[in-house]
Amino acid sequence: MTTQNLVKFVDSASDFHKINSTGTAVSIKNVTVSFKGSKGSFTAIKNISLDIKKGEIVSLIGHSGCGKSTLMNTISGMVMPTNGEVIANENVVTGPGPDRGIVFQNYSLLPWLTVYKNIYEAVDSVFKQKTSIEKHELVEENLKMVNLTQHKDKLPGQLSGGMKQRVAIARAFAINPSILLLDEPFGALDALTKGSMHIELLKLWNMDNRNKTIVMVTHDIEEAIFLSDRVVVMSDGPAATIKKIVDVNLPRPRNKKDIAHDPEYVRIHDELLTLLFDKFSIED
Amino acid sequence: MIKNSALNIAYFLGSMAILIAIWQLITIVTKSEIPGPIATWAVFKELMAEPFYDRGPNDKGIGNNLLSSVGRVFTGFALGSIVAIPMGMLMGSSKIGMKLLNPIVQILKPVSPLAWFPLGLLAFKDSGGATIFIIAITSLWPTVINTAFGVSSIPQDHKNVGKAFGFSTWKYLTKIVIPYSLPHIFTGLRLSIGIAWVVIVAGEMLSGGVGIGFFVWDSWNGLSLEKILVAILIIGGVGLILDKGFNALQNLFSWEGK
Repeated sequence: MTTQNLVKFVDSASDFHKINSTGTAVSIKNVTVSFKGSKGSFTAIKNISLDIKKGEIVSLIGHSGCGKSTLMNTISGMVMPTNGEVIANENVVTGPGPDRGIVFQNYSLLPWLTVYKNIYEAVDSVFKQKTSIEKHELVEENLKMVNLTQHKDKLPGQLSGGMKQRVAIARAFAINPSILLLDEPFGALDALTKGSMHIELLKLWNMDNRNKTIVMVTHDIEEAIFLSDRVVVMSDGPAATIKKIVDVNLPRPRNKKDIAHDPEYVRIHDELLTLLFDKFSIED
Repeated sequence: MIKNSALNIAYFLGSMAILIAIWQLITIVTKSEIPGPIATWAVFKELMAEPFYDRGPNDKGIGNNLLSSVGRVFTGFALGSIVAIPMGMLMGSSKIGMKLLNPIVQILKPVSPLAWFPLGLLAFKDSGGATIFIIAITSLWPTVINTAFGVSSIPQDHKNVGKAFGFSTWKYLTKIVIPYSLPHIFTGLRLSIGIAWVVIVAGEMLSGGVGIGFFVWDSWNGLSLEKILVAILIIGGVGLILDKGFNALQNLFSWEGK
């Protein structure tokens, strides 16, 4: 089923994350997540197993309520599985950790801290052994990467949605995680901003030699295909499972203009549409 | 901007004019049993001529009385706040804390300061200490409640940041809990100082000695209604200044809309 991935032996900046020799970054083993509510137990996802290779970009796509965020939260450690386990970077996930960076759906920037401080506090919290100078350098670096240096003293309330998301991404990148988890990161942005954010994300990924594993939750089919190596289609909730995993064998670097005309892209797009929708026109 | 301030001042003066008009009306209706604004103004000028005189422990100028009251209010308020803020934070951050402490708050909150006074005298043996005690125990409740509310209403989004990036307890407190709750804490403090100021006057009437409340009681004994009215106006004025002062402090620490 899985072909052996060519792992480039290039170092990540931090030696917290050694290159995984089996090439698997995340292993989800038969995970079920149930929540206890006032009306009894609610099972969000059931018996999900999935392996994600190191350096892969995987999208989780599905309708609202299909548990894709819940599934990603088991990888990030914000939610614990009721059954089964998740292994990330060869360790069982028991909670959030600096090896898995998270970009939240609502940016989740602290509104009373400047752009600079929002990133700094994350860096300061994760890198306890670095000196103050090193930490400040790290913040400056990541600010530059997302082109927000001139806005570093602004408060989140003074930024546009796209800028806020760039801060959130910079913050997640700054702690140099080997796995990046993005929960509908561009959902609140307009189509134009979204498009440029896709390019920015891929640029950042390339700058790190495509070492980072990226798992992204989205409900935007075009976004999923453009960014991913594989698209995991989830069934509808409750007790959602994986409906199908679609490989996206489009060459990189991908071009937003050209890709739309690529017959393989069109085929994948069609396949995903069929998996997700049962009505395609008013006649259905 | 200047036009705005000028307008605000105009409204304030207008409001004062309405108050004085009603006052004058009451004087006319009660056939000058209650002194009118003009008679009161005359006494006010008298008192202001020598506000800080000191002719003995029970005979001091109005300025001295006021200062001593303000001092006691702030002492009681500070002691109350030192207890109230951590207590509120405990209640807001833990369900068990809330369930254990909230009933205590609900039972002690409605107790009148005058009911606490005898206990205060017993514990502190002197009326000054007792007064500070009743100020503390009566005024701290709004701060407790508002702090608890602020801490308990921290949005999950903010908590997630702390969780996701592994914030230490200290960092979580100083970078998330306190900045978020500060506006609520200040609202509580503002309400508390208001109550404290009301309580001091009542407390001092009971305890005697020095203070604006004592001044009111003494003036009543001396049958100078004008003095009482002057005292009332001063009490009101100081209360207003305290409230505005805390409001300004709150705005200083607010990050919203900057």
